[in-house]
Amino acid sequence: MKNAQIQIGETIAVLFVFFILITIGFIFYSKVIRSNIEIEKDELSQLQSIAAAQKVLFMPELQCSEENIIVDSCIDLMKLRALSRDTIRKENELHYYDLFGFSSIEITQAYPSQPGAYILYSKPLAGARSKFVTNIPMGLYDAADRTRKFGILKIETFIS
Amino acid sequence: MEKKAQMEILGLAIVVVLVLIATIFVVRFILLKTPVNYRQGFVSAELASNTLNTFLKTTAADCSLLTMTELLQDCAQSEELSCRGIESLNSCKYVNDTMKGILAQTLEKWSIKYEFLAYVESSRPLIRLSNPENPCPADKRSKIFPIPIKSGTMYVKLGIC
Repeated sequence: MKNAQIQIGETIAVLFVFFILITIGFIFYSKVIRSNIEIEKDELSQLQSIAAAQKVLFMPELQCSEENIIVDSCIDLMKLRALSRDTIRKENELHYYDLFGFSSIEITQAYPSQPGAYILYSKPLAGARSKFVTNIPMGLYDAADRTRKFGILKIETFIS
Repeated sequence: MEKKAQMEILGLAIVVVLVLIATIFVVRFILLKTPVNYRQGFVSAELASNTLNTFLKTTAADCSLLTMTELLQDCAQSEELSCRGIESLNSCKYVNDTMKGILAQTLEKWSIKYEFLAYVESSRPLIRLSNPENPCPADKRSKIFPIPIKSGTMYVKLGIC
């Protein structure tokens, strides 16, 4: 009777240690998985930011063209002025949300220097954890006087 | 009895080896996984190329609607052109001042180290610009654009560190 009780106690002790080890392992594993998810989320946001930048660079509603041939790294100032008007921007907001998500896109003219910026899209995420800012220099073609200015495309991607 | 104990020790050793292998696997593939910075690669690749490409095609604001490429060609050849009316700058000085202003508003503002060169012979650059406080220790990503001139080819190079 006493021997059997000792054996049962032994089994219970072994099981207790086993479950403690399993719990420690599970806690460790879940922490590792959580940090991996954070890393993957960060990488995904980076890819989204790159995708948004590339989409803006190749938007037909902004691209310059000469005799129907697309000019590389160039934005048409007339198209830009039209698209950045408040009324048009608000009308297109839903359409661009599918393309850019929570981000804001603006273009500034660096040379010849001009104050202010053309805001193309603005949908900031309230309570965003952080944001990526991508700046890409590009030409601004003014068809009125056939000149090219030096512009900067700024894309801010918000991360939840 | 002795044989049974030996078998138990062997079993224990196998378990320890398996746990060690699992630990090494976890450390190698999960804990030591370095995050990939996709954006940094894309930005540095695009930045040097786009900055130079855009600059060379930019029209000078007060120099007979000439492009920076045409002004650089004049700078490498005869320096006949003069810009900005009363102040009258030659093409080399004009390109130098314009690029300096653009770089101050872009790369310097974004705290990116750079080195800009325009040359026919790399040992004697016509224009050389770099961060005033942080000179470029070594070129990491650079872009060179060749421009044809009467006597051969001149080069414009932008290095991003």
